[in-house]
Amino acid sequence: MTYLPNLRLEDWRKAAMVAALIAGAVCVTEAAWIHVKASLAQALIGAAWRREQAGSRNAQPWPWADTRPLAQLTFGEGTHGPKFMVLEGSSGRNLAFGPTHDPASVIPGETGNSVIEGHRDTHFALLRNVKIGDTLHVESLAGRNISFMVTDITIVDSRRSRISLHADGPRLTLATCYPFDAVVPGGPLRLIVTADRSP
Amino acid sequence: MYLFNLVSRAACRVLVVSLSTWLASALPAGAHEPLEAQSGTLYLKSSPDADAYEALRVATTMRAQVTGNVARVHVTQRFSNTGSDWVEGLYVFPLSADAAVDELYMSVGERTIRGEIQEKAKAQAAYAQARSEGKQASIVDQERPNMFTTAVANIAPNSTVSIEITYLETIPYRDSRYTLRLPLAITPRYTPGAALDPAAPLAAANAAWVNATIGTSATPERVTAPRQHVDITVELAPGFPVRSVASLHHAVDVKDDALGKEIHLSGNQIAADHDFELVWAPAVAGDVETAAFAEKVGDDTFALLVLTPPNDADEATQPREVTFIIDTSGSMHGPSIEQASAALQMGIDRLKQGDLFNIIRFASDYSSLFAMPQPVGDSSRLLARQFISSLRAGGGTEMRAPLERAMSTPPNASFLQQIVFITDGSVGNEAELVALINREIGKTRLFTVGIGAAPNSYFLEQAAAAGRGSYTSIAERNQVGSRMQDLFHKLERPALIDLKLLWPDHLPADVAATLPGDIYAGDPLVILARLPASPSSLTLSGRMRGQDWVHEVQIMRVGEQSGLSKLWARERIADLSRQLQFGGDREQLRTSILDLALKHHLVSEFTSLVAVDDVVVRPPGSLGHVEQAPTSAPTGSYWTTTGFAKTATPAGLLLACGLLCMTFGAFLYWPRYRRQMVL
Repeated sequence: MTYLPNLRLEDWRKAAMVAALIAGAVCVTEAAWIHVKASLAQALIGAAWRREQAGSRNAQPWPWADTRPLAQLTFGEGTHGPKFMVLEGSSGRNLAFGPTHDPASVIPGETGNSVIEGHRDTHFALLRNVKIGDTLHVESLAGRNISFMVTDITIVDSRRSRISLHADGPRLTLATCYPFDAVVPGGPLRLIVTADRSP
Repeated sequence: MYLFNLVSRAACRVLVVSLSTWLASALPAGAHEPLEAQSGTLYLKSSPDADAYEALRVATTMRAQVTGNVARVHVTQRFSNTGSDWVEGLYVFPLSADAAVDELYMSVGERTIRGEIQEKAKAQAAYAQARSEGKQASIVDQERPNMFTTAVANIAPNSTVSIEITYLETIPYRDSRYTLRLPLAITPRYTPGAALDPAAPLAAANAAWVNATIGTSATPERVTAPRQHVDITVELAPGFPVRSVASLHHAVDVKDDALGKEIHLSGNQIAADHDFELVWAPAVAGDVETAAFAEKVGDDTFALLVLTPPNDADEATQPREVTFIIDTSGSMHGPSIEQASAALQMGIDRLKQGDLFNIIRFASDYSSLFAMPQPVGDSSRLLARQFISSLRAGGGTEMRAPLERAMSTPPNASFLQQIVFITDGSVGNEAELVALINREIGKTRLFTVGIGAAPNSYFLEQAAAAGRGSYTSIAERNQVGSRMQDLFHKLERPALIDLKLLWPDHLPADVAATLPGDIYAGDPLVILARLPASPSSLTLSGRMRGQDWVHEVQIMRVGEQSGLSKLWARERIADLSRQLQFGGDREQLRTSILDLALKHHLVSEFTSLVAVDDVVVRPPGSLGHVEQAPTSAPTGSYWTTTGFAKTATPAGLLLACGLLCMTFGAFLYWPRYRRQMVL
């Protein structure tokens, strides 16, 4: 205590309290920001997508954006289900804005396996409730709408498996981290939802 | 305020990182040490971007020396680090399921270090310590009986480390020829999950299953399009004149030398996308019906007996009931499903009037042609043809249900009941399936047919052994005819029944593996035994063509370098491992395997070879990372694949940490609590 003569136990308590509260508030804010960013980016990209479909040439989601939506993914029958703008390239930054398409795989709707990944706790949190037989739609920029039906749901260890890019017909593979409720990110398991083109 | 925010943000990051490190360390340690042991000195790059940076190359050279029935194979893997960081290299590679791996040599420049056999955990600890101390070290582990991993620590930038692994194996004499098989490619395994109730949301998925799945395996195979290359030389000294030598899938140059022949791959190197198979036949057919060798090591004598039943046994008069099971999973896509369909069609065509048959196809689910086996006739043949032509590959590999279905056919004494199982065997739950077959097979015989360039031979051999049948491998489309011919020839003719071995003077022989009750035409039998003395002959007895059959074999003495003792130990370990899979006393079997492996210097599921140099080469603090060299996928399969992105945000973790901090802060703020605290 010789080197800090002015600080008593009471002062340490106050300092620790302030530090803990601030650190806590920052953490909670960051957590909230991840979710806000995920929703906000989807709304902005969705608006840009509609502008582009309507013929506008200014289809930037936000002025400094350097990503473009590839397709719109809709869950459920009809057009009222949850919608997501799918971005090209599975980088961490793109994943923060929306589900992403793996550029090694084919464009959704083409023959082959098209792989779309999303965060388990933001956009693809809804995969928790997907069932075999559920319907998905993918709408391309050109306005083509293709229906898929969920044919398989499985859990794999990403250290031991890879996704085959081959399929006999148009196939959609949605991947997200599993389990959904894990606190620590970066686990090895993935939930794989396979959907084939509806007949 | 901005600065303040930054500082507290940094503090919060530190907290999150330390918390997640603690959480991660609290989880059970993963089985694959080299990848997961992040010692802090080596930095593991595991994001998908890591694929873009590949400094590690592995080139393989194989040299096989064949003497009589035994091959001594030297596999040299050159790990070259072409980058500017220090690298820990990992490589998963296939070997024959009954290879007795006994030596490891690590060479760096002029220095060569011989590997020692140690208990797996001790070997891994020695390796990890050398790695963190900056010493050059390598370790060879057995992941599955036919799949091994080499890890090499501290490969200097722009340098090469050579790893030489040697093994022994017996060469089967089957259908009048010897076959040496050097596996080169790995078919990725599919581990089926618990069947999900299609109607239930995933929240209900079984967490216990998830844990069980992760617990079962170690270093994952990283399979890509063939990029690794291999060079092969075979020195053939069979000890008898050879009529023909042929490589089934690769172009080779054959030269005569003093002892026999030397076979070398044409061209310098080939892509390792197809197992290498060399076959040769003795000049005089029928010359080698039985042969026996013995090696004396200390007080023990180890004997090798090779028995080939005659190929001309009479056709069984009994009608047969054959259930064909065909794999139509995704891994069979491409030429594999065509080969399988062709093999299946041949099987149907070979059936005779009066036989019964059925076909079951499976992938994630299964379906059958008939509810019960039906008599062979024009209409049933037509239905079978239509069924076969409608087969398409796709989906997972769930073998359990179709196998159970086939084995549940009620026993019928007036028929020879046989199951022909056509698959590439790409499953991860091998042990469970073999145990199932062992339990349920009854009087039925199970014959497995491996399809494709690199079928999972280990599993298919085990399955056939448990089903008291045999295993046939078909690597190429043009082999379907001849191999299926051989198989059906066999199915129609059990050659030797109730085989017994009689040693002179009632010597108590310790036979490495249980003898099969009967032998089919053209199927060889290799017996390895340990004896307390060296007999000069032994007698075989059994029943052949309905009559008693007795045969005496002279035993030839061979030198101590032949490795018969190692082959015996390897076979015994394989037998003990089988008992382990079928639920034997785990602790006792483990101890037996460990003792045998340590005594005979063999790699097993409980022992590894480890080589550690005593010189520190990597300066402390220098950058390094782990890289796994990809293993080639078999040719003809559609293994163009993609990896996984990281699809979880730290939001949950941040929220948990934030709430924790705020609770702590609130606790400090509350004076009454503070007064009660003893600080």
